[in-house]
Amino acid sequence: MTFDELWEQEERQGLLSRMKSEYPAWLHRRKRRRTVAAVAIAAVAVISPFVFIHPSTTNPYDHVCCNRNGIPEKHWVDVASNILTTQTL
Amino acid sequence: MKRLLYILPLLVVIACSHEQAEETSLYRQYASRADITVAQINGFHLNDSVKVDVVILKADDSMAWQGLKEDFDIKDSEGVTSWMGDIDHPKKHVKRNVRPAWRAMAVHDEKIIAFYRVKDSIQHQALINYQLDKTENEK
Repeated sequence: MTFDELWEQEERQGLLSRMKSEYPAWLHRRKRRRTVAAVAIAAVAVISPFVFIHPSTTNPYDHVCCNRNGIPEKHWVDVASNILTTQTL
Repeated sequence: MKRLLYILPLLVVIACSHEQAEETSLYRQYASRADITVAQINGFHLNDSVKVDVVILKADDSMAWQGLKEDFDIKDSEGVTSWMGDIDHPKKHVKRNVRPAWRAMAVHDEKIIAFYRVKDSIQHQALINYQLDKTENEK
């Protein structure tokens, strides 16, 4: 065996022994990352309908503002709707 | 720190999806009045594709109602008074085909005036259709 071959063998063995010692830790980190990613995806899937679906897709209006507190938004929508039936346009 | 970088874009998206609706000058004009309840509906759905903004003024008592009638030059005292109002000066009557304009309706019994902001003929037609459909359904 030449010096170069010996050197290469030593390098390979060193690498293998390092892999042996570090692999379990790396495996553990990968598992943890995958768990976190799965939880994050599940959380986004659950939360996104509430966050990204605009209220107007479920309500017959986009937004209501009023100078008094405590009056339900639906009251004003009903008023706006009912008034239209009181008069011929 | 890395986690914050993930959360930041999400917060930005959430903030953008809840943009604040713009208040009309009509709403702002009466918002500080103690004797008048004012509400603004942004995007009142007339059908699947057409929405209008609505401003509702409700007088809390007879004196406030008299004041509102004077503000909008309403002479009647019963039933419903309706007119097409100028978009900047709702008191001023305009022709039916002028756009944009306010479709105003004053209901004397309820002491309410509702203003429907009509920007084009599509919205005006949708307003008429909405009323016709609703009247048909109530029969």
